[in-house]
Amino acid sequence: MTGVLVAAGLVVLAVAISHRRGLGLERELAITATRATAQLAAVGALVTLVFEHVGLAAGFVAVMLTAAALTSGHRLRGIRRPVMIAGAAIVLGAGTGLAPLLITGAFELAPRELIPVAGILIGGAMAATSLTGRRLLEDVGESMPAIEARLALGVPARTALQDCDRRAVVTGLIPILDQTKNVGLVTLPGTFVGLVLGGASPVEAARVQLIVLLTVMGVQVVAAVVCAALVTRACVLPGERVEPPA
Amino acid sequence: MPPQAPILAVHGLSAIRARRVVLEDVALEILAATVTALIGPSGAGKTSLLRCLVRLDEPAAGSVRLDGADVRGLDAGLLRRRVALVAQAPVMLPGDVRANLAYGLDAPREAELVAALEVADLDADFLHRPADRLSGGERARVAIARALTRSPEVLLLDEPTASLDARAATAIEVLMLRLAARGLAVLVVTHDVAQVRRVATRAVRLEGGRVRAQGLVAAVAGSGR
Repeated sequence: MTGVLVAAGLVVLAVAISHRRGLGLERELAITATRATAQLAAVGALVTLVFEHVGLAAGFVAVMLTAAALTSGHRLRGIRRPVMIAGAAIVLGAGTGLAPLLITGAFELAPRELIPVAGILIGGAMAATSLTGRRLLEDVGESMPAIEARLALGVPARTALQDCDRRAVVTGLIPILDQTKNVGLVTLPGTFVGLVLGGASPVEAARVQLIVLLTVMGVQVVAAVVCAALVTRACVLPGERVEPPA
Repeated sequence: MPPQAPILAVHGLSAIRARRVVLEDVALEILAATVTALIGPSGAGKTSLLRCLVRLDEPAAGSVRLDGADVRGLDAGLLRRRVALVAQAPVMLPGDVRANLAYGLDAPREAELVAALEVADLDADFLHRPADRLSGGERARVAIARALTRSPEVLLLDEPTASLDARAATAIEVLMLRLAARGLAVLVVTHDVAQVRRVATRAVRLEGGRVRAQGLVAAVAGSGR
């Protein structure tokens, strides 16, 4: 309980910093922390049940995907069908990672293994989708003179948006690239820590962590690329015009 | 001599931007081998009109015909190569001047790029100059040269001399006359009445989104503010 209080105290500190620096994130930080508390409490209560029933596990994964799509979709406000776009990027990204892991037997289809792995991959896809999509929308809004200069030279709208697309994908992948580069040096990721705390040997924990980390990198590349492609498409209007986000 | 058919003809054009009517029932004609000045006060709709001519904005009503064909039936990319727009503050794309001139072209020949530069009164050495280190006058001429690499029939210039010194502005005026002499239809937005008299044969006065007058410069440029 002491640990939870310390962590909650750090949230209060974060809110205070946001207030002092005028970041305007106080409300979002507080809601996010409260929401995480409620969600983890619910998962803690339900997880035993979910781990024992495949149907419930499938429903749980569906809830994960829906929540991730809504969260990333919220970051893509300003274009048409943001939740659909975020959902497609997350499903394709996470699916690209999950399918080979299950098919090859790296992880079992049993709920006890499926849910944690699916959660990590969906979470990774969501992070890349939010960051890539948000960056792309900001870039399109800021780069309209350059985009229209390209359009005026007769290139298709998608070509005019290529630079924005590329920059957004690169930005969206910075966290996972940095995390993967520094794993073991700067960070000890959650899977490794969890397995060691749960009694696994450090070597086994490192093996599983490596599988997860490399898979998440692939997942995020797919999610970022799909997200950028769909957001770009949403910005293109008939007649090879580009609509900046609202 | 029969009247010259317009290369670009606008009929009943209306446009709305940010819920405001910016163009209303605009009708005008642009002739080949002629410099036409588009004049009028700020907010008259001059830039909005140029944007509609190349379909960067879609008009709410009316039509634009290029050499008799409705532009809505043309591929937008092809339209923008035939009707080239040079914005008021031309954006240079990353890289050198060569990359700018070649942008969007399919394997352009060096000679074509140099020819476009020479028409804009810039020598071949400019090809390798970083585009972000050009002066205002050089930037304006490179932007025009970049448009010329598409071999347009109509050149739309939005206040090309607005931020240039007198010498650079004169160079652009000479360039406009040279392009018209080569057969291009040049439509130039300007606030400078003296410039209109120096370079344009015809003029269109736009006020409040409507055409108030059009015809020979002597009649239009002297008919209002």
